[in-house]
Formats: sequence, structure tokens, C-alpha cells
Amino acid sequence: MTTVWAGLSVGAIYVLVALGYNIVFITAGTFNFANANLIMVGVFIAYWGLVQVGLPVFVVFLVAGAGVLLVAGAEERVAFRPVKHHDGHLVTSVGAATLITGVVQLIWGADALQVPFIAKNNPTSVLGGRVVPVELWLIGLALVGAFGLHALLRWTMVGLASLAASEDREAASLRGVNTRWLGLGGFALSGALAGVIGPFVGPKTFAFAGLAIALALKGFVAMAMGGFGSISGCVVGGFVTGLVEALTARWVGGTYEDLTVFALLLVILMVRPTGLLGERTERII
Amino acid sequence: MSVETRPLLEVDGLAAGYGDLQVLWDVALGVRAGEITVLLGRNGAGKTTTLRAVAGLSRASAGSVVMAGNDITRLSADARVRRGIAMVQEGKRIFRRRTVHENLLLGGYTLGLGRRRLAERCGYNYDRFPMLRDRAGTPAGMLSGGQQQMLAIAQALMAEPKVLMLDEPSAGLAPTVVKSTFETVAALSAEGLGVLLVEQQVDHALRIASHVVVLDVGRVVVSGPASEVGDASVIRDAYLGRLS
Amino acid sequence: MAAGLRGRRPPWALLPLALAGLTIAYPWMGGGPFWTRQIILIAVLALTVSGLNLSFGYAGELALGQVAMYAAGAYVSGYFAVHGHHELLFGVLAGAAGALVVGIASGVPGLRLGGWSLGMVSFFLVLLLPDILATFSKQTGGYTGLIGITPAHLFGHKLTPHGFYVATIVIAVVWLAVLRNLVSSRHGASFLVLRQSPVLAASLGIPVYRMKLTAYALGAIPAGIAGALFAYLNLFLDPATFAFDAAIAILAASVLGGSASVYGAVFGAIVMQLGPLRSTGFQHYALVVYGGFLVLSGILLSQGVAGIIRPLLGRLVPSSRTSTVAAPAAVADRAEPAPRVPGDVLEVQGVTKRFGGVVALDEVSLRAEPGKITALIGPNGSGKTTLLNIVSGFYGPSAGTIRLGGDDLHGRAPHAIARMGVARTFQTPLIPVSLTTAEVVATGRYRRVGVSMLSSVLRLPAYWRARREDGEEAARALARVGIPERRDQQAASLPLGTRRLVEVARALAGGPRVLLFDEVASGLDEGDLAHLSDIMRAIRDAGATIVLVEHNFGLVLDLADQIYVLVNGQLLTSGSPDEIAAHPAVLEQYLGVKRSAPEAGARGQPDGRTR
Repeated sequence: MTTVWAGLSVGAIYVLVALGYNIVFITAGTFNFANANLIMVGVFIAYWGLVQVGLPVFVVFLVAGAGVLLVAGAEERVAFRPVKHHDGHLVTSVGAATLITGVVQLIWGADALQVPFIAKNNPTSVLGGRVVPVELWLIGLALVGAFGLHALLRWTMVGLASLAASEDREAASLRGVNTRWLGLGGFALSGALAGVIGPFVGPKTFAFAGLAIALALKGFVAMAMGGFGSISGCVVGGFVTGLVEALTARWVGGTYEDLTVFALLLVILMVRPTGLLGERTERII
Repeated sequence: MSVETRPLLEVDGLAAGYGDLQVLWDVALGVRAGEITVLLGRNGAGKTTTLRAVAGLSRASAGSVVMAGNDITRLSADARVRRGIAMVQEGKRIFRRRTVHENLLLGGYTLGLGRRRLAERCGYNYDRFPMLRDRAGTPAGMLSGGQQQMLAIAQALMAEPKVLMLDEPSAGLAPTVVKSTFETVAALSAEGLGVLLVEQQVDHALRIASHVVVLDVGRVVVSGPASEVGDASVIRDAYLGRLS
Repeated sequence: MAAGLRGRRPPWALLPLALAGLTIAYPWMGGGPFWTRQIILIAVLALTVSGLNLSFGYAGELALGQVAMYAAGAYVSGYFAVHGHHELLFGVLAGAAGALVVGIASGVPGLRLGGWSLGMVSFFLVLLLPDILATFSKQTGGYTGLIGITPAHLFGHKLTPHGFYVATIVIAVVWLAVLRNLVSSRHGASFLVLRQSPVLAASLGIPVYRMKLTAYALGAIPAGIAGALFAYLNLFLDPATFAFDAAIAILAASVLGGSASVYGAVFGAIVMQLGPLRSTGFQHYALVVYGGFLVLSGILLSQGVAGIIRPLLGRLVPSSRTSTVAAPAAVADRAEPAPRVPGDVLEVQGVTKRFGGVVALDEVSLRAEPGKITALIGPNGSGKTTLLNIVSGFYGPSAGTIRLGGDDLHGRAPHAIARMGVARTFQTPLIPVSLTTAEVVATGRYRRVGVSMLSSVLRLPAYWRARREDGEEAARALARVGIPERRDQQAASLPLGTRRLVEVARALAGGPRVLLFDEVASGLDEGDLAHLSDIMRAIRDAGATIVLVEHNFGLVLDLADQIYVLVNGQLLTSGSPDEIAAHPAVLEQYLGVKRSAPEAGARGQPDGRTR
């Protein structure tokens, strides 16, 4: 059961990464490879606020949320808006991701830093397994985040406008939807989300520059499993990925956990490329 | 016998293009309330470019677009919708993955209402196009071509525009459906809407036109009331370049 | 589609060779060990980047895991060298083979998907490298690295540092020449077609899966070679060399030099390798610099530095642009009788097609004969395009048979059907970018006449013959559709009507047994339509079998010899234009006219069109 909690909590992080991907995918119609790097920035801001400067917790959340929101907004303006074709976004977003990692490394170095949890982090026993409060918080955050996004999309006009814009941006603008602000807003929202979860992700993963690529890829597995654009899908996908990883580490060995997740990704892509709950369908001509 | 009222939509000296390619050089036209202005011309003459420039999808390099007295030339496409001008693009560009009802709601986006209040406004369009009410919960992509065209028009009407622009609404539709589409457009105009209609089907369009404008290589070569200019042979001459 | 600086005039062809010669002679011109090492590293990086350029730049596949293949090449050859097999050529081949396995295996998901999924899978592979190396730590030395690589030998003799240098440069130059020969031939054009649209590729007879796998393989091999050379250079392999940062550096080098360019790979490699030498603290700034390069290159230089140089060069020295087809020796004479088109009988019998619960076609039969234009009309959703897609092989019928001449088309893949002589156009013209009109039209000939990659690379007579014939046939087809003057223009930027004509010309090239035109008149004005009608009649009179799917009733009545009317997936009726124009059910269901006399506007007068 301890393994299950471990799997669910790391899976929750993957859910949150995938949610960020989906927000940008739906509002801006593209894939932000640097999303995991935004979360990493949030983690480092949490470290800076809690360890280096000693700010009150409330302020740390504010700074992290606002700070990463600004970084995400800048990324949209600099790396996405000027590029016409979506294919080019892969190159520029990989570039943005690399740039962010480089800057983080310049400021904080390459070692892994420990981020304290904002509350007491003593292990407790839940349902027969050892779990640490931050892990429960992460699971809760993932579920709340997913629900919030779902509500936004299904119940508000802005959400409907986002779904429409993700299908046909020009037609959406002819119906009065300001697609530029929508795209920027989506990036900003994904940035705020990434920043605000920093103080929770940090204690679980440590703060180190290589964090981003691992989260980016596993978050992608979550999204692929659930289907691009599907909120409920990425929740399932994220938790399943986390569980597979934890169970493999426990029963087979640490070196095999990433390999197993990779195998899982290949199987999904080969068998159900649209994901379990995804909407994209293939049209031949 | 129409009194010469001020046009709702006035386009003057419009120049526009795509990148290096200049398509429009100097286009002027007007659309009055309750009347249908038909824009004709060969392929490449600039009809769609004109609509796109008026709608705000393409930037005008020169000229002005004035809507109900307000200069909207520098506004973005979404802002222009709020000023009362709506466009139905060629090719039935509705949102296929969304339901018919959601498509209508989206049409009313600029009204600034919540979903529930907006749903009440849909009733008017469901009355006009009853076959949409029957399929309100169906994904729009599953409608036939003619139904999708109706949905596109209904969607544009949700924004309560004063001027409606249509780009080849009959394209790709079977002849029976074409007839009913033109009947719908004529009925809308009779209710007071100003209509700017781009068409390749010269005969159908001339039957419902109040004004006719013919473009050739980005300039207006024929412009006037349909009663004077609406002779098909005059139009054909313009097409074949005998007037310019 | 220029692959670089070389034309057929000797002076320009010699420039890259001269540079290669100078590079090889460098040690004897006073170059010291530091710089020879740098040049070897540049060559190694250029090889790796060239692989990425082929799979990503030309074929458009986001197979970005070159580092993993580079590592495979290094470790495989390193392993053999540690155990006594240190023959250079063997090591290089073993490295290439190892990389090939990795490249093909990781490309398999890309066969069915494209885009981001393939890109992420390839990045994931790079992430897994340390784990894989640790799993096989006995063979690879795990995290501590592989030591004890013995220096390279050539045919039994140990290579001096200078000798190794020369061997490396020679290998790199040979590979780049192979690649350059390949991309400036039909195969380069085929990759560009694949990048534009796999559907188009299949309809031109290009086997999509095989082509993609070839792209992955050609992307992997040079990375493997590079890895082997690096192993022999370093004599020690540290897993940290093959980290994600290296993958970024390779991508940055590719984008900077221009991904669809062979020489761009060299330029990018030079910048990426020498740039770090400028500053001692580079390691700290490496990521920032790579990231900055990628963002800037992505925004400003959509085709890299090559995108700036090629047009300049093309304007200065017109002959420098290498085309995949030869210019025809004499302009095609229009007075010449048009060559016969070998049309065959297309027989569709009782074809039914179900999509889930929806019956799109219900027992439809059709017969199209050579020397006749057979039209298929009907309202939207009647199944016309579905039938066309079934004949060209993109869907399989749920029931029924399709025969062309004596051949059964049922159940074959689209590219196989294309090779049997079925040519088609598309509702929206599919024209690859970066190719001239003549090159685009020539791709239509690939259905019928193939050239092996080996011939292209080695420039054997078969290559030159195909190149000449492609050019002649393209010229003939362009003359036939009346646009010979467009041959050297970029096809993708032509107006719609002209692009439709290019599609017709492409369909003609390669002597098709049946021509399927999918709403080829849509979007054309009266002048274009009249021209198109004349062309179609001429092609028909030359013996072609033409099947025309159309909405434009007037055009169909004017042009067709036989008309089939489809409504709701069923054949309503068929007959000659006169019969159809007077058929009450057709008039009512399709035209909405309630009387039985033919409509005045339907015949003879140019009427408005439905599309």
C-alpha cells in the first residue's frame, strides 16, 4: 500500500503536468514542451522563498504563482506568437525549455536542493500504507485542478470559446472570440498553476535542473494515455503512469522504472493512438 | 422606390492582399439596411479578399471600413463583430466537434451573457430554422452540407448583427439546397438586415440583389442598383473583361 | 529543391571537393593536434546532424533521438574494440548497424503517428540511456564509462593520429556526398512529398511505411558512424557525453544551418563545436546559448542559414540550383500530336461501404471506358468521393469488386493501386513546398518508373536516364495542360486554378490507365473552366479513361459522355447527358426543378455553378 501511495503521489504530479499541457493545447492549439520547466521554476521559487529568504508561506505562493505566470506569458509572446507554423513550436518550445533550465542552473547550480514542506511532514499511516502529508496534498491538488478545469470548459462561455478556438481559430475570431488573449490567457493560467504547485512538488522531488525533462516526458505519457484535450483522460493517465512506475521500482528494480513507463508509452501509441478518452480522430482525406 | 439612406456599411478605397501579393487596389461599396448588395467577379478578382478585409481577417493596406458611422478599419476581427458586422465564411466553417446548440451559443459570444441566458436567445433562431432544433444535441460535423450551411448562418445571426456578409453560401451544395439558401437570405434581408453577398452563381444572385458590384483584378468595374445594372449580359461582359 | 551549391557546371561542383581536400591536407599544412581534434569533432557532429536533417528536414519526421543512435554506435564499436576487434571499417559498420537497430525500433511508433508523439518518444529514448547503460553495465561499464578502447587499425596497421584524421574526414565526406546525391535526386523529392502529405505520397505510388523507415534508417546510420569515430578518437566513453544536452545541441545545429540542407549540417556543426571554445565558462552558459539559438532560429530563420544563402546563390548563379529533373533539350512543340494515353476499362461492381452503422455506398456499379469521360454526380453526402477513395485504395469496400482492365484492385494498398496505373487529383490540391512545377509534375512518373537509391547515390546511368526522361515527360505534360512557362516556378505559390492544372499534369505523367478527377473544377472561374474542358477533351481523345466527380452540372452535361447519378449512396440512374438532363427524378432530386423538360440554363449557356 505504501507503494500505491508513492505511485499515486508521483502520478499526481504527472496529472498536474498533463493538465498544464492540456490548458495550452485547448486554448492555444499547441503543445508547450516547456510546461514542466515552468513547474521546475515554481519549485525553485519555493526553495528560494522558504529556505533562502524565509518568506511567510502565503507570500511564497503569491510570488511563485505570479512569477511563473509572468514567465509563461513571456514564453507565449517570445517563443510561440511569432512562429507561424505549429511545427516550429516544437523547436522554439524546446529552446524555451532549455533556456529556462539554463537560467535556473546559472542561479542555483546543478545540485539537488531540498525543499521543505510548508507544514509538518511527518509520515502517517493511511489505509495500511505509509504516506507523507505532502503526498496526500498532491493527490488532492491534482483532483481539484482537474475538476476546476473541467468546470471551466463545460460550464462557462470562455471554456466553450476555448474548445471552439482549438478547433478553428479563425472561425472563432469571427464569432467574437479574441483568440490572442485566449492563447495568452491559457499560457498564463498554466503558468500560475505551475507556480502555485511548486511548494508541493518540491518536497517530493527535490529542486534540481534535470527535474524538468523527466516530468515533461512522463506528463506526456499521461496525456497520450488519456487523449489530447481530455481532462478526465489525463487524470487517469497520470495516476496510472505513477503507479506503474512505483510498482516497477518496488518489485523489479530502480533502473527499470523509466524503461517500463517507456514501454507503456509505446504500447499506448501503437494500440490506441487517440488515447483512452481522447477526441482526436484520424481522417484519411 | 428606395430613399437614398446612408449605408450601414461603407467601404472606400480599400487595398489589401496576402504578404507580397496585392489583390485589392481600390474597392468601394456600400450596404444598406434591408438591401442585398451582391459582389460578383471572376476567380482571383478579390471577392473573398474584400470580405476578409472588411471582416478584419486580413489587414487593409489602405482605405477605410465604416460601420454605422464608426470607423472600424483598425479593429481586430473579434472587435468588429461587436460593432454589428458578422461574416459567414465559405466552406461552412462551423465547429464540427461541438453540438448544434453549442455552435449557436458560440455565435452569441459577443452578447456577454452566461450560457443559460444565451440559450434563451437561441429560441429565435430555432424558430427560423426548425431542423436545427431537432438536432440541437448532435455534433455539428454530422449534419449534411445544407444543414451545416443553415447552422453557419444561424450562428452568425446570434450576434444580432446589422450587416451580414456571406461568402459563396451555395458552394458545394446541391441545386435544391441552393434554392432554399437564397430564399433564406432574401427573407433575412426583408427583415431589415443589410446583406453583402459574394457569389459565383450569377443568375441566382441577381434574382435577389438590390445592388450589384462587379470586381475585376481588385477594382470595381460595375456598380449600381440591380434594376439598372442587373442585366446578366452586362455582367458577363464585365467578367470577360470587355468593359475595363 | 536545392541540395546545395553544386550545378552541372564544373567550376561550382569542385568547390566543396576543394574544401574537403584542403581539410584533409590540414595536418601537413601545419595543423596541430588541438585543431585536428576539433575538426574531427566537427566532422562527427556534422555526420550526426546530417542524419537529423534527412529524417526531420527532408522527410518531416520528428525523429529527434540522434544522441541515442550516436551512443549506440559509440558503445557497439567501443565494445568490439575493447575486445580486440579494432579494425576501423569494421567498427564503423558495427556502429552503424547498432544505430540502425535503435533508429528503426524507435521509429516504429512514428509509422502510424506523426508529430509530437514521435518527437517525445525519441526524447524519451535519450532519457533512458543511463538506465540502459546501467542495465548492461558489464558490457558498457555502466555509470563509470567504457575504458580500454584500443586505437583504430586500418587493414591491420595501427593508424597514426594523422592517419586516423584523414580516415575520419574521408568517411565524413563520402557520407555527405552520398546524402547530397540522394536528396538532389528523385528520392529527395519523394521525401518532400512524404513530408507534405502521406496521402499524396501513397497516391503517387510511394510506399509510406517503407519510406518512413528509410528516413529513420538514413537518420540513424550517420549517427552510428559518428559514434564509432568518436569512440576511436576518445578511446574512452563517458555516459555523461550522451545526455539530453547533447540532443539539444544537435537540434540547435540542425535548425541553425537549415534542416533541409546537407551543407547546413556542416555549417551548424562548425558553429556549435567552435562556439563553445570562445568562452572558458561556456559550460555554465551552454544551455542558455543552445536554448537561445533554438528560439531565435525557430522565429527568424524558418529554413536556417541555408534559407538565406540558397536564394542569394540562386540569383547570383542560376545554374547552381540542382533540380531533380533535367531541363528538356527542346521546348515541346504544341503542333506535335499528343501521345496516346493508355486508358483501360474501370469496372466497379456492386460496391457497398459501411462506416459503423452508416451505409455510405449501397451496391453501386459503374463502368468507365477508354476514350470516354464518365462523370459521377450527386448531392453532398451521396458517396461520390467515398467511391473515388475506394477505387484509389484509401478505403476498402465492405462488398463488391473493382477491376481495372483484367486486374483486381480489391484489398490493395493505395500505393500499390497507384503503381497499377490509377492516378487522381484531390479536392484541395496537394502540392509539396520547395519543389518547382516541373519537379512536382515529374513525381507523377514515380508510379511507373522506379530508380533505386543505389543508382541515385552512385549516379549510375539509370539515374541520368530517369532524370532526363522525367524532365521530358514533365515538359510534355505541362505543355498539354497549357502552362509550360511555369516549369521553374515554385509550384506551391501558384494560384488555385493553376495548381489544379499542375495536379492534372502530374496525373498525366506516367501514362495512367485511369484518371480520377475529384471536383477538379471547383473554385475555377469561367475562363479557367473553358480551358480545363478543352484539356480534358484532348486527353480523352488521346485514349484516356477519365472519371470525373463533379458538382458543376453544366460542365458535366457539356463534357461527359456518360453520367452516373448517386443519391444517398445509391445509384439513381445513369445514361448519356441528354437522357440525364431530361430525367425527371434527376431534375427533381438534384436540381429541384419540378418539370420534365430540360432546363434552359442547363445546356449550352454558361450558367452559375454550384461550386
